[in-house]
Amino acid sequence: MPNVRTILAKTLLAGAFLAVATMAQAQCRSFAKNKCVPELAPYKFNETFNAAQLAPGEEAEVNLTFYSGQEYRVMVCTHPILGEVNWKLVDENNKIIFESLADEPKHHFDLKAASTVPVKVVVWVPNKSGTTMVHVGCVAIMVGFKE
Amino acid sequence: MIAMRLNPLVAVFAVAAVLSACGGEPPAQDTLNVDTAQDSAAKAERMAKTKKIFYNIPSPMETAALLKKAGAQYNSKILNDVKNVDKYTAASQQALNLGVYGADLSYASVFNHTQESMFYTSCSRKLADRLGVINAFNDSTLELMQSSMNDRDALLDIISETYWNVDAYLKENGRDNISALMIAGGWVEGLYIATQVSASNDSPELRQRIAEQKLSLNDLIALIESYSVDDARLTGVKEDLKGLKVLFAEVASATGGSEVSEENGTTVIGGGGAPATLTDAQLVAIRDKAAAIRNTYIN
Repeated sequence: MPNVRTILAKTLLAGAFLAVATMAQAQCRSFAKNKCVPELAPYKFNETFNAAQLAPGEEAEVNLTFYSGQEYRVMVCTHPILGEVNWKLVDENNKIIFESLADEPKHHFDLKAASTVPVKVVVWVPNKSGTTMVHVGCVAIMVGFKE
Repeated sequence: MIAMRLNPLVAVFAVAAVLSACGGEPPAQDTLNVDTAQDSAAKAERMAKTKKIFYNIPSPMETAALLKKAGAQYNSKILNDVKNVDKYTAASQQALNLGVYGADLSYASVFNHTQESMFYTSCSRKLADRLGVINAFNDSTLELMQSSMNDRDALLDIISETYWNVDAYLKENGRDNISALMIAGGWVEGLYIATQVSASNDSPELRQRIAEQKLSLNDLIALIESYSVDDARLTGVKEDLKGLKVLFAEVASATGGSEVSEENGTTVIGGGGAPATLTDAQLVAIRDKAAAIRNTYIN
């Protein structure tokens, strides 16, 4: 019955993966809630939880819309274990609106939308040279708005 | 701050009154779908593929705030009846209507109708409980809301945090499909409210905000497409949204572009172009479609 064994092994592996992923996500939420949300002030958090565990070389992106007349704060908040990350805000044609690189990091970008524009926030974790340790850490991409 | 000095016994009675305002004991409900072992491998694979792409759908609170800024009026008659809460026995219905009541709650709260906010909080809590979302509405949430009834900003913060807790809890526990249904229900209710308000309180600003939902609709469909492979209810919701997308296809989008400039030390994006607009016929078609979809969710 090799098929049953294979299925069982895959199921156990997937179960373990889900358990670890769930725990990591819970820690990520706690980090985002306690460390990142307060830094959005005086902007109001838009209630959307965009956070992932990233390793060097990995990337995350968030598609969102800025509405005309509204003021926003876009913030990228990373766990210290990961170090600084690169991130940029691009329009629908991938034209860069704002960019922050790890060697000169900016953790948030405040703006006012004069017209309604769809944008994308792209975060990528730089590879660190001279180390064999791979650190995985939480990256939260948060948006606040002024009512 | 007067409310904060209430006798604890009075607060307990107040909470009980609010809870009873949202229907009585729930009827027996369907068993929630719990992942089987066979689902896990597929789910793990899907999580690995999609976990790093997010779609930021405007939250009910953000939508309600946009409507208020656009000059919309408050109309309690268009909201979902609190008595309906006990009709929702299937998990998918509960998830959709958690979104619907969440949108109603945000609409009432942003427009400062605190008593109705309490009723909709109670409905949301009931549905969250039935979906097994524990700790999102902890024991003190309603009491905290009661004590903040005269402090609108504090009330909005509590509601925001609760919505975030529910969404995060669902995602952390591998129930992204339930989260997606909740988000879809909230988005549809937001569109329903905006289009219904425009029927009696039309303005170019309100039409613009409705027209702009074309953008978030695309993101919402993309979000749902990442989960709908193995979920019949999500597939149905996706078809509903695609019906709306057909109507939005003809809507004129904003032409402001994304040029960056500085204005009194603030970075400004876009501007200079025409805003998104809706013709009378487009507005009526979207209003009718949103109402038809929403009625299938709440009934």
